[in-house]
Amino acid sequence: MPGADAAPCEPVGTSSAKSWLRPGLALLSASGLLFSGCGNDPNPEPLRQTRADGSPWVVRYAGLSEDPRSFDPQFMYDQMSRRVLEAVYDTLLEYHPMKTDPYEVQAGLLAEMPQKEVSADGKISYRCQLKEVARFHDDPCFPGGKGRPVVAEDVHYAFQRLCDPKVESPFLSTLAEYLDGLQEAHDTVPPGGKFDYAQRLPGVEVLDRLSFRLHLRKPYPQIIYWLAMHCTTPVAREAVEYYDGQEHAGVRRPDFHKFHAVGTGPYRIQEYKPRQRVRLERVEGYATTTFPTDGFPPEKAEWLQQFAGRPLPLCDEVHFAIIRENIPIFILTRQGYLDGMAVNKDAFNAMLTPARELAPKYRERGMFLEKDVEPSTFWISFNMDDPVVGKNPQLRQALSCASDAQTYSDIFYSSVAPVAEQLVPPGLFGHDRAWRNPYGYDLEKAKRLMTGAGYPGGRTPGGQPLELTLDCAAVGSEDRQRVEFVQRNFERLGVRVKVIENTFAHLLSKQDTGDFQMADGTGWGADYPDPENFFFLLYSKNVPPAGKNISRFQNAEFDRLFEQMATMENTPERLAIVQQMNALVAEECPQILSFHKAYYSAVQPWAPRTHNNLMLEGGMKYLTLDPAQRSRLRAEWNRRPLWPLFTLGGIVAVALGYAVRWNRRLNA
Amino acid sequence: MLNYIIRRTLYAVPIVLGVIVLTFLLFRVVQTPESIATMVLGPKATRQAKDDFIRREGLDRPKAVQLAHHFKNLLTFNLGTSWKSGRDLSTVFVEDARASLMITVPGFFVGLVTAVALALYQVFVRHSLLDRSMTIGAVALMSVPTVVYIIVLQAVGALMLNYFPASGFDWRGLGTLKFVALPILVIVIVNLGHDARLYRAIFIEEIGQDYVRTARAKGVSATRVLGVHVLKNGMIALITLTVAHLPALIMGSLLIENFFGIPGLGNLLVMAIQTGDLPVVMASVYLGSLLYVGSLILTDIAYALADPRIRLS
Repeated sequence: MPGADAAPCEPVGTSSAKSWLRPGLALLSASGLLFSGCGNDPNPEPLRQTRADGSPWVVRYAGLSEDPRSFDPQFMYDQMSRRVLEAVYDTLLEYHPMKTDPYEVQAGLLAEMPQKEVSADGKISYRCQLKEVARFHDDPCFPGGKGRPVVAEDVHYAFQRLCDPKVESPFLSTLAEYLDGLQEAHDTVPPGGKFDYAQRLPGVEVLDRLSFRLHLRKPYPQIIYWLAMHCTTPVAREAVEYYDGQEHAGVRRPDFHKFHAVGTGPYRIQEYKPRQRVRLERVEGYATTTFPTDGFPPEKAEWLQQFAGRPLPLCDEVHFAIIRENIPIFILTRQGYLDGMAVNKDAFNAMLTPARELAPKYRERGMFLEKDVEPSTFWISFNMDDPVVGKNPQLRQALSCASDAQTYSDIFYSSVAPVAEQLVPPGLFGHDRAWRNPYGYDLEKAKRLMTGAGYPGGRTPGGQPLELTLDCAAVGSEDRQRVEFVQRNFERLGVRVKVIENTFAHLLSKQDTGDFQMADGTGWGADYPDPENFFFLLYSKNVPPAGKNISRFQNAEFDRLFEQMATMENTPERLAIVQQMNALVAEECPQILSFHKAYYSAVQPWAPRTHNNLMLEGGMKYLTLDPAQRSRLRAEWNRRPLWPLFTLGGIVAVALGYAVRWNRRLNA
Repeated sequence: MLNYIIRRTLYAVPIVLGVIVLTFLLFRVVQTPESIATMVLGPKATRQAKDDFIRREGLDRPKAVQLAHHFKNLLTFNLGTSWKSGRDLSTVFVEDARASLMITVPGFFVGLVTAVALALYQVFVRHSLLDRSMTIGAVALMSVPTVVYIIVLQAVGALMLNYFPASGFDWRGLGTLKFVALPILVIVIVNLGHDARLYRAIFIEEIGQDYVRTARAKGVSATRVLGVHVLKNGMIALITLTVAHLPALIMGSLLIENFFGIPGLGNLLVMAIQTGDLPVVMASVYLGSLLYVGSLILTDIAYALADPRIRLS
């Protein structure tokens, strides 16, 4: 090693030290310049500084965890797209932001709730009337660039688009079951052919400029909720024809309309930069909906009263930052650059005390904590076709009793997620707060039931431990911890549980094909707040591939009750049937109920929530904030200290000094 | 040399083809069309939607036909469109490569200069306590996982000191610097320990060479010997190492881009893997393999150009 024995260099002269001075100073100046231009605010300048009347322009900052998939109402169904489109397109009906127990819908683009009509031959239809003030946004697709009123033909066009194979709407198969002529219209298109938009849909009858009637094949009260979904919202034919297949901004795409929304709502999309942000700007003159005047929760009623009947939206701009990681969301919220966040697992211990209260540090900042329970239920599915678990109700009940859902929630959801006692989640008609699952956690009862099931101590008649398999989606360590917890719960009964790990997609495939005995991590989020949307998961006609009854539960009595309940209005009789179904499902136990998904949200002091409705995807038009308070607190929270720069400079100086001294010593 | 380049290029062809086949097997054969459709369309997708997707994307055709189609598209650089965004991938890759280069190129050069400076400094004060401390520091730097640097720098640079944004990106001229400062710093620190140690070893070796002794005997100052002669000769090794970094520069960094919200190629790939956007994944792997193979050839050429004693044959 020649280098190891090499002699040290000889002393450096003072001229060398001087020669280092110039680049050093240049570097320092460049650093100073860079530093002066820096700051930790990632948000761009607002679209405007003031409103037309001179008052301050108010921007709301929120996050999206991934990119929206599309801005086409008839196509999109993912949560991120819904969050954006909810602000851009009004729906025919919409969820009342204040009424969450139970959820209620109210008129959106419609002037009033649809009128149910029953013809002489018993056929049901709903007559709907659009609001005169509802308009499409100004856009070059319209003559003169001026938006026009929304008319009944636009609704008909939206339903035609649902039938057009080119649109690839995932909603067609469900709606076609209930609305006349949809499936037939879809089926007229040959493979690769074009949909004929000249044909009329018998299920959507246009009565006059603003009125239309929906004709149902069979009773389906849930159609009301479908009118609160974006798939049925009217779309301007001009917009689709103008944008699809034409060249815009140097791009010609057959599906340009998927990313260019010409909406009817309180905001328009001003900018969409994939993986960066979506910016919405208020639509001047929007008058379709106003802030509600009733249903205020008592604890906020006094404060909310000031907004009653006010024009919407309350904020002028919405900035959705697309942030995939939890830690940046936490940091940006702490700095005040986001107006709130769901307290994710990475931030949980930092933001909450063991008593599940906001940590003093954040309380002192004036932040609030809100608890949100999603209208969803999660469970472990049994395969009822399986010869072991499917044919032995007592075994299923025993396993259900062995499942400690509360501890599961404590460990994996920090006790936030409530234990599911019934399939229907809170906030939906039919959810009974008083109902308790007779096969909830009770280990002693579980052991007794095992004996009754023919497996005392978890042993088969041959004396061997009963072997069960549990399929799960395990893509990370936390998924494995979850399934190991479930495995340990069951093994306390003396059984052996073999865990089979799958990707999420593969697990879904196995559930569809019935290639499992028990499946963990299955659940359902409400498409609409009706018990039918949950009980249909156990309806025998929905066994895959026809539907999502992955348990393959088949029970004639359940089916009879379901068919009766599904077509009823919300009445005490319907409630009684739902309770009967709850009892039947609990006894048959095709699934082990686990929890309803819930989380805490940290809310900034300047942006208290006006509503907590989780059927809305944010309900952006109802949200307000105090921009002056935000500016003041942001400045206070984001001071930039200079000491680190001096420290760094000091370290460099010491290093240089050391080098010089080193040379002098060698020289001496 | 031309013969060598042609031969190496021909050797590269089966490697790239192998990568294409392996990627195809991994994503299109191991996974069923059903699970691919579920991954793309989501768990609530209807049977009809899944069937339409499978038919439209040709997932129901024989695997050999799919593979042949896939080969043809990639070899003609018809990268297709993203299943998620519907955007043309050629455009997406060009746009995203710009964002990746915005952090990787400065990160690489700042890292190179810093590591060379530190290595020269260590050589200058070699065998001193400071030199040994710096070596220990370099080993410590190498031992820490990248994600720890990311989190610590976000916590310190963005949260405690408020100097830079924790996440986000925007093309704002000079204003873009504030978005890329922390990612660049991570790239520099992640590589610093390894590079500084490596460069120190190279320079230490050079400083023991005869030409250094000759230069010193002729009265050339020590700093000039170190800063000119040793650095120049050491650069031969540095250049060859540099070329090997090319694929990483263009393809970006998966972790860093993801954590800092940089819309680059690394971030694109992570998102595509998570959402099942197979055209993006397969095109990324293909381009990455082309770049990797190309950079290996370039490294050999760089060796020959930098050191006339090396003959490529």
